[in-house]
Amino acid sequence: METFINPKSLFHLLLLPCLLLYSSIAYNSSPVEAAMHTNNWAVLVCTSRFWFNYRHMANTLSLYRTVKRLGIPDERIILMLADDMACNTRNKYPAQVFNNENHRLNLYGDNVEVDYRGYEVTVENFLRVLTGRHETAVPRSKRLLSDEGSHILLYMTGHGGDEFLKFQDSEELQSHDLADAVKQMKEKHRFKELLIMVDTCQAATLFNQSPGVLAIGSSMKGENSYSHHLDSDVGVSVVDRFTYYTLAFFERLNIYDNASLSSLFSSYNPSLLMSTAYYRKDLYKRRLEEVPVTNFFGSVMETIHTDAAYKALSRRNSGRFEDEMSLDQSVHHIKRRMLIKVNDGDEIHDINPEGEEGASKCPWSTFRKKFQKAENVDSLLNYGLVAMIPLLVISTWLVQ
Amino acid sequence: MVLLQRPHILLLLIGTHQFLQCWIAFGSVNEEGQKQAEFSEELLLKPLPDHKLLAHFHFQSSGPPSTSNGCHHHLFPKAISQLVQKFRIKEMELSFTKGRWNYESWGGFDPLSSSNAKPPGVELWAVFDVPQHHIDASWKNLTHTLSGLFCASINFLESTATYSTPEWSFPPASGNVRYGTLPCEAVCTENLTPWLKLLPCRDKAGIALLLDRPSLYRGFYHSQQLHLTSTGSSSEGIDSGIILEQTLTVVLQPNSEMAIEVHASEKHIQPSWSLSSIFGKQVSGRCVLAKPSSVYLLLDRGLSAANGLTSENFWSNPSFELSANPDRIFLEESSSHSKSLSILYMFQVEKYCESEPFDIGLMWKVPVAWLCQQTPLHASRFLMGSGNERAAIAISLKSTQFTEGFMSANSKDGSCELRVDVFQVVPWYVKVYFHSLRVFVDQQPRAVSDIIEKIHVSPSKDKMSPGVMEVVLKLPCRVNTAALTIEFDKGFLRIDEYLPDANQGFDIPSAIISFPNFHASMVFLEDDSLNKSPLLSKFQEKCPVMSYTEVLLVPLTTPDFSMPYNVITITCTVFALYFGSVLNVLQRSVAEEERFLKAKAAKKTGRLPLLLSKLSAKLRGRRLEPLHSPPSSSSFINSKLVLKVILVAGLAVGWQYFFS
Repeated sequence: METFINPKSLFHLLLLPCLLLYSSIAYNSSPVEAAMHTNNWAVLVCTSRFWFNYRHMANTLSLYRTVKRLGIPDERIILMLADDMACNTRNKYPAQVFNNENHRLNLYGDNVEVDYRGYEVTVENFLRVLTGRHETAVPRSKRLLSDEGSHILLYMTGHGGDEFLKFQDSEELQSHDLADAVKQMKEKHRFKELLIMVDTCQAATLFNQSPGVLAIGSSMKGENSYSHHLDSDVGVSVVDRFTYYTLAFFERLNIYDNASLSSLFSSYNPSLLMSTAYYRKDLYKRRLEEVPVTNFFGSVMETIHTDAAYKALSRRNSGRFEDEMSLDQSVHHIKRRMLIKVNDGDEIHDINPEGEEGASKCPWSTFRKKFQKAENVDSLLNYGLVAMIPLLVISTWLVQ
Repeated sequence: MVLLQRPHILLLLIGTHQFLQCWIAFGSVNEEGQKQAEFSEELLLKPLPDHKLLAHFHFQSSGPPSTSNGCHHHLFPKAISQLVQKFRIKEMELSFTKGRWNYESWGGFDPLSSSNAKPPGVELWAVFDVPQHHIDASWKNLTHTLSGLFCASINFLESTATYSTPEWSFPPASGNVRYGTLPCEAVCTENLTPWLKLLPCRDKAGIALLLDRPSLYRGFYHSQQLHLTSTGSSSEGIDSGIILEQTLTVVLQPNSEMAIEVHASEKHIQPSWSLSSIFGKQVSGRCVLAKPSSVYLLLDRGLSAANGLTSENFWSNPSFELSANPDRIFLEESSSHSKSLSILYMFQVEKYCESEPFDIGLMWKVPVAWLCQQTPLHASRFLMGSGNERAAIAISLKSTQFTEGFMSANSKDGSCELRVDVFQVVPWYVKVYFHSLRVFVDQQPRAVSDIIEKIHVSPSKDKMSPGVMEVVLKLPCRVNTAALTIEFDKGFLRIDEYLPDANQGFDIPSAIISFPNFHASMVFLEDDSLNKSPLLSKFQEKCPVMSYTEVLLVPLTTPDFSMPYNVITITCTVFALYFGSVLNVLQRSVAEEERFLKAKAAKKTGRLPLLLSKLSAKLRGRRLEPLHSPPSSSSFINSKLVLKVILVAGLAVGWQYFFS
């Protein structure tokens, strides 16, 4: 009997490290799998009540239409509208909402699904949607069922101020509440990447405290965001400037376009917006030139070619393939980057941590960087003056 | 013995098993033969006396019992059958209504108005087939599910303060019924879209093609309903399926341009209309899955009488012209109490196709005036009193002359009595004093016990449950007016209980006035009962006459919502000032401060160290710069730059000149 057992135990002993190895490989490969971008979600919030805030609902519905057109299905869009504008008795065009005075496009088409509306749009419900802490009875259509492979677009519009956004004219969402919710989402692996887009006065202050996100706001601290134009038939302003120019950018695109986020960000012209669009990317890992807008505003997944169907082994290959893909994309992007460089002067870089870090590491590169920038002429001149003194001394010494 | 017995049992078992199998198989085949999933689509058009048009869409799907075909769904929407199964619903009705049904001019005594006139906003009632203590939990989950399904905030009905349990005055009287309304809920496209998604053809084919959103919501009245009846309960063992009725009732104003062109002189002529002029669309064939797919035009009793149409000459219509020939004409079964009869023209959609779409039009030739049949008493409700402390609700019932003759015909031997049921729910912040209930008949106060036969009251509990009042009134037949008044105090809410637009006021849901002795039904003479339409069979059902009163808007005392912030701010400032100064006085040591000031003065005098530090900062780059000097404006930098350049150039020139 023992002779039978021994090989078996030996086999077991051999198997154990193999298993361990396999498990460690699996463990290592699992983050690769988790890092894959698998789905897209959008949370679109209009926080203003009352008829004169028509434009905020039009903003939100325009974004809703855009993300739907670019491929995010209705069940992955959480739409929150704080009031009913379409069937409001003041609306001359029942069941229709327009974002332009030409009335060419009815945003409230035949297929709108509003998930939270009216009195349901509260700070509490908003934070519940983000953090996923609902009552058990709440149906799936009202939940943000994202996972660690999700890209989420969070769009908010309404009236706001320094570090807050008003909900329904009765309560406020503060920037630290939002930051806390985002942090919880991060901890719970509810998103892979999150883009916060805010169209309100002093929008930049709202996401100042949020960790690990990409964010864009319509105005800096101390600036107002303005409406674009008034529709004399509807009787109120119908769209805000920031959203109007965002839509102008997206109307040119379709689902197959490869336009990058940086081209969106650089498309905002402060003189047209009458405010400075502020974006924050310091906590974002990828280069903006390499991220297509459809990563957030649409639902375009990377197709991965595998030879073997339904096999676990293909995982590692896919990871490698992804790398190749990204390399490929970066090559494609070089041309675009060249184009972007032209507009560089218009771009507003408020936070530039790379420059600060680089100063201590590699002075030459920082010098070169500073050379490139027009705003650093002063320091450059100082360097030049200091360098001139020894030259002068040497030249006089030689002359003598 | 044991060995001998065993085979017997085995045989018996096998035998019964086989028999059971056969029986089950036979039963299922039989059931499938009888109960297939069915779907029907119908549209009823009815001209109204005040130059408007009523369009009533009626879609009915019946689902076979879940046992016969498991979880497979052909025509019946899966979401609904899951809903019924999960919450064990016997009957449910959900309605989304915008606008108010005008009982005076649109009638209240026909089956169409008594079952389709609904209170504004959302109304939901459901009868459950679960034990008494589970009903509230089922109701809560049902409201959440429906709010997800129909994109509405029905989930506000989950709290016990919003729904009630009618005991007997609400028509589907049963102990397991729950009733709730949201009077201020908005109704719009997003509610209609999921409702349409329950139809097998959605709004892509058939009659539902007409549902053009802007023209629907432009109407005066819009009511979208969903009625569920689960005809069998699993507890009884017989499960015969679910019937889902979806109705949409709209009252629209036809464009009167056509009429003006033709008869510019005549102002009272009814506007002519056609389907394409009302909805902007035409019906291009039926939904292939719908079995009866038909459009009806109903001329009610008053109209046919005004036209002089009787059972003999209904083919000739002197006052109007139809653009399409009806396939069939139904006459109402003559009843004892009215001479004139309703006429129903039927058009079958099956005959029309894409190339030849169905578009019925009605052209009036001469002006016609008529009245719709009214409810025995016209009910209205209003608020009395002023101020923010107390007020009173009054429900007034006014006799409509129209039905007087009918009532006298109904009376037997002098003691004629008219029974009226009143069902009223009030939110908890309207604190009703039930002892203050007073009754007036023909403007004379009467003793409550004389008129009220039966009363059931459940007082409201603060933030817990609403107040419910159910009253049965016995009024003499010859009554002209009757009124009920009841006083209430306005309650105080906590600051977080106010709605964002609290200044608008708070709604008191509609009261339901029903007349249980009167039944509205319309029986049409049909020659074949095989091809029965669900809409017509619905009309034949005896439904009690009901009417809803107006929604009341109660202004409650609203605080200044910024007051707490003001108080907090002022208190904090006062506290900070007080504690700050006290701490300052306690902690300050004069000698230390003087020493500090001296040291500071000494620091200021030395210019050289300052210059040196500046120079070192500049040499190190920009990083330390903001520590020393504030950022200066660009123009200043420019002038400084120019000065520096000139200085260096001058220095260089001087140097060169000096040495050369």
